Amino acid sequence: MKTLIVIPAFNEAGNLAQLLPKLRQAVTADILVVDDFSTDDTFQVVRNYGLACLRLSIQLGAWGATQTGIRYAKRHGYDYVLTMDADGQHLPEEISRILRAISDQHGDVIIGTCPHRVSRLKKIAWRFFKLISRIRIEDLTSGFRVYNQQAIKVLADKTASLLDYQDVGVLLLLLRSDLKIKEIPVKMALRQDGKSRVFSSWVVVFKYMLQTTTLCIANIGAKKSQ
Amino acid sequence: MTTLTIFIIGALLSISILYLVRKGKLHGPYATWWLMVAVIAIVLSSFPKIIDWVALHVGITYPPTLLLVLAISFILIRMLTMDLALSRKEQKIRRLTQRLAMLEAGLEASEKDKSPGGKAD
Repeated sequence: MKTLIVIPAFNEAGNLAQLLPKLRQAVTADILVVDDFSTDDTFQVVRNYGLACLRLSIQLGAWGATQTGIRYAKRHGYDYVLTMDADGQHLPEEISRILRAISDQHGDVIIGTCPHRVSRLKKIAWRFFKLISRIRIEDLTSGFRVYNQQAIKVLADKTASLLDYQDVGVLLLLLRSDLKIKEIPVKMALRQDGKSRVFSSWVVVFKYMLQTTTLCIANIGAKKSQ
Repeated sequence: MTTLTIFIIGALLSISILYLVRKGKLHGPYATWWLMVAVIAIVLSSFPKIIDWVALHVGITYPPTLLLVLAISFILIRMLTMDLALSRKEQKIRRLTQRLAMLEAGLEASEKDKSPGGKAD
């Protein structure tokens, strides 16, 4: 079973320097970092560990970078793609549990969830999105996920390229394609430094809420029930 | 007098569009659209009775309203199609950026294979 670990990274040189050695010890899977047009030496850090790094020449955001890794996996015939954040929030020692869940065929997508980690405000936003999108998934934003080949095929496609965030839009697309999503609880670390890319300022939050709401409304009735 | 003004606007518009196409600054479908707008302006200003006739038959008492409503509708439709085209462009740019990153990495890897001794920096 060929597995690729995809890590989207924007200015994460410091965090990657801590994460990558731990990750290499914890797993045997291939590791791919997608550098989302960083201005620091993210690329150099990854290279120093002798790992593969794709460099985007235009900034595409977290989802655009992740999709690059997914397309890479599809091209190179990987069976599974595991995505994780570069900021150290997702723990390398939890990877084997998530991978086991997918190889036991509990679902096409396994999400490692840790709902306790988020703020109350974010929880309210989640409840709202779950209400209007009818997604029955606890943790909407967790980027700690494994996709199998069917899911990779759906997400590598053109349709997924116009999504701006990797949470609700991606989940809706997967559900619409009749794929099964399962969650398993995992431990997560507190963010070591830097803030969430999505919830960083009020203007950004507002834009995110509006866009995601539109997306949810547009998708009413488009998917099979989960 | 207004009809003359509109006629002149239409004429100037057609000339500008043909000029832009000739210079290669405006491409295919967009040029056709704008030329159509110019032609309609010329036709309507030459025969303003057309508007009155149509308005009468669809039951609009004040014909200029018809003209305005139609004009605004077409502008809105045009704006929507512009946003559709922009979304398509955005999608293509994203796909290309991703592809470029993959090809670059592949190229680097194959260059390294060719020269096992020297590090490509």
